[in-house]
Amino acid sequence: MMQKLNKLPDATPFKVPEGYFEEVNRKIISVTSGNDHVVRKAGLYYRLRPFLQSAAAVTGFILISYTGIKLLTNNRINLQETEAVFEDYSVQFIDDIDIYSLEEDAASLFASEEGSYLNNTDIIDYLLLENIEISDIYEQL
Amino acid sequence: MSNIKPEDNISELLKSDLNKGFRLVVEKYSSRLYWHIRRLVILHEDADDALQNTFINAWKSIGDFRNESSLYTWLYTIATNEALSLIKKRKKNAAMSLDDLGSHFTNSPEGSTWFDGDEAHIKLQNAILKLPEKQRIVFNLKYYDEMTYKEMSRILKTSVGALKASYHHAVKKIEIIILGD
Repeated sequence: MMQKLNKLPDATPFKVPEGYFEEVNRKIISVTSGNDHVVRKAGLYYRLRPFLQSAAAVTGFILISYTGIKLLTNNRINLQETEAVFEDYSVQFIDDIDIYSLEEDAASLFASEEGSYLNNTDIIDYLLLENIEISDIYEQL
Repeated sequence: MSNIKPEDNISELLKSDLNKGFRLVVEKYSSRLYWHIRRLVILHEDADDALQNTFINAWKSIGDFRNESSLYTWLYTIATNEALSLIKKRKKNAAMSLDDLGSHFTNSPEGSTWFDGDEAHIKLQNAILKLPEKQRIVFNLKYYDEMTYKEMSRILKTSVGALKASYHHAVKKIEIIILGD
């Protein structure tokens, strides 16, 4: 059986680009050597690291819980204060409204609308100020 | 390229200077691993990708290895897995299937550029590609890499007896395929 196979080529029939292995080795080494992969001896920090991590986690949890509770309590107080102030202000504001002065203001608004009507004299004066010829003005009027 | 002396011991270097030791590992094994991968994935671009991934994955846990013989089998295992995962990805994409290697090498400029074989080579490669995955790996490692069954057993995590049987079946199938053509 093997004799028949021995008649077949045993060399790999594939090729690679010229200088491929130098290039790929350089590429692999440049990718890996940039990374920090130093074998460290287990110092005090590394031996204590699991305990430090647990301690940090517990401290973090306590801090977050405390801050959360504190914020929640403050918000409740602030909300109550705001509601009280708003209520006082609303009552005071309604009391301060003088219905007569309100009517006067409204009347003055209507009056100014009427007063805004311009007569021909006003228009002529304005156009003369804008240096428009008097003959042209009369043509338009 | 390298100023590392050939007599440098990889295991010692990995202990004392990981970067230098790994550089030696790359220089020593890249070619052998490339050809192993290339025979499984066929295309140069795929082999190139798988080779780089092999060394990047090896680098991530190189610190665990101190024994050169286990390093060698370990690298082959990573390379084989990389090649197989690439083949699986390719199977999902029907357009990239290499079932008929002959037509690929004659029709594809990429294939013809990086293939240096004659008709006999194409016939053999086509026959190897028709083998089941495990038999293909066993055949390639034995036929081209001339690896011992013991070494193969460590890489593929299969018993020597099973590997011998696998190679026997592979050879028989290849003969049938080639003689049937």
